[in-house]
Amino acid sequence: MPPLESPAVEIDHVSYTYPATGLDTPSTPALDDVRFTIDQHTKLGILGPNGGGKSTLIKLILGILKPTTGSVRVFGQSPTQARQSGLVGYLPQRIQADRSCPISVEQVVGLGRSCHTKPWKKLTPDDHAAISNALELVDLQPLASRPIGALSGGQLQRVMIARAIAGNPKLLVLDEPTVGVDIAGQQRFGQLIETLHTQLDLTVIVVSHDMRAIAAVADRVACLSRTLHFHAAPDGLTPAVLAQVFAHDVAGVFGRIHIDAHLADGCDDPSHAHQHQHDCGCDDQSDMNSDMNKKSEGAP
Amino acid sequence: MNELAPPIIAALVISLMGGALSVFVVLKRLAFIGQGISHAAFGGVGIALVLGVHGATAAGAIGQLGIVVAFSVLAALWIAALTRTHQGRADTAIGVVLSASMALGFILFTIAESGHVHDQAGAAEHQGGHHLIEEILFGNILDTDWPKATITIATALGIVLLTWLMRRRLIFWVFDEPVVDAFGLNANRITNAFMVILAIAIVMAMQIAGVVLAAAMLVLPGAGALNLSTKLKPVFIYSILIAVIGAALGMFVGFKADYPLGPSIVLTQSAIYLLTHITKAVSPRVRS
Repeated sequence: MPPLESPAVEIDHVSYTYPATGLDTPSTPALDDVRFTIDQHTKLGILGPNGGGKSTLIKLILGILKPTTGSVRVFGQSPTQARQSGLVGYLPQRIQADRSCPISVEQVVGLGRSCHTKPWKKLTPDDHAAISNALELVDLQPLASRPIGALSGGQLQRVMIARAIAGNPKLLVLDEPTVGVDIAGQQRFGQLIETLHTQLDLTVIVVSHDMRAIAAVADRVACLSRTLHFHAAPDGLTPAVLAQVFAHDVAGVFGRIHIDAHLADGCDDPSHAHQHQHDCGCDDQSDMNSDMNKKSEGAP
Repeated sequence: MNELAPPIIAALVISLMGGALSVFVVLKRLAFIGQGISHAAFGGVGIALVLGVHGATAAGAIGQLGIVVAFSVLAALWIAALTRTHQGRADTAIGVVLSASMALGFILFTIAESGHVHDQAGAAEHQGGHHLIEEILFGNILDTDWPKATITIATALGIVLLTWLMRRRLIFWVFDEPVVDAFGLNANRITNAFMVILAIAIVMAMQIAGVVLAAAMLVLPGAGALNLSTKLKPVFIYSILIAVIGAALGMFVGFKADYPLGPSIVLTQSAIYLLTHITKAVSPRVRS
């Protein structure tokens, strides 16, 4: 059991720069002084553009990468310790599993449970019950003995979710889980995550560049584009903040835009954007829209 | 007949080991890496010869085996490290290690020969040298006596046991390597461990089939078994059966027709693989 008093995740002034991969490719800063805390039982959506550092942040939370500066704690432990204790379940962005592998749905889910079992020990009845429960939660119990190669894409994703929860984690990390999924599918996915959150008492982190995917799942939102732009409940998310976060994407469509009108009043720290809404009156949607419209008129 | 017991038992146990490993080799697409390691072992034989360790005595044969195993393990780890450096492009890594080791092996053979060729005994050894290269390239299990067979059998069974102990991690790694780290395992460590296992297994198989054919014994059984089933346990059972039956039949044919045993075994396993392929094509329902 994780310590009750510890937050699920503490990100403390974390920066990360990818090392240079060759003589002609310089090192790339992916995250810059990111700090926020994720309380236990939260469903947090991390929203940001492609290349905004979302996957890097996940790798830091999973302990696959070490911060260049700053620190990450997961349930008060180092990410590596938390991961090895089975406190963290993970659903990857792209499922790259080998579907030609001669392995059944139940065996795949069992991998998430048995990968830390001592090699000379068999799975216990508790292990089998946890695997069966995970399959039931994602509604795949009838397909338990089916070969993994015989599943549809959606069924495969649910198998991977079952694998992620089979070890009874306390934190579930989902990396871009609804890429290419239609709105109805996103809503069904949101309902599934809500069920898991309630029944397994999970903290959930969903990473996406798609606001609908976040809205379907999250009760809090963090906006990330190299730095943290916002961290609060989704209803506080304004177009001004979104424009900041997606500045590069928007500029790519509409040409260069001005999003710093509200920063001119001295609100020049984007990591406190949620405070600006109250302190500086920076939540003026109409201003933002008009600014966007002006620029879009000049767009090709 | 007693003289034939050590090579026959050693060959059957090595085949059993090949059957168990080959499912992982085929699923993880390591067949070409197997070729790389077996050819790299040639460099290890060269080092043993230059050091004066050769198979004329039982102690010499075991010493040579030790040197070749050590060299092959280093070559396998080098391939794994280079593959990571080249963003997972194993073919580049194998190209580098295979060529360098083969070149080193031939140069060391020349150095070892030139140290003896000017005296009378050396001239005879020069003739023997060519025979030795042939044995290294195509294998000669009949030279195996009980001391060597005991070490070979113990090593092969040790590999089978180690693979069984690592089975859950290996299956996870084979099935979905990109997420292995996220589940608290270490993909690089599993890769390196399997590379070491593979290198030792290939040196064992080299005793039967030589540098050129050893990797086939770690590919054919698994490839055939995957034609017959989509379930994990049956695949492993079929693979071991194909390996052992192929080896037994191959040796029988080799003895009867006086063919070299290594190629006979590999050819028989190839024939069984072809049969599984035909079975799969004719009756897809078999693969359930």
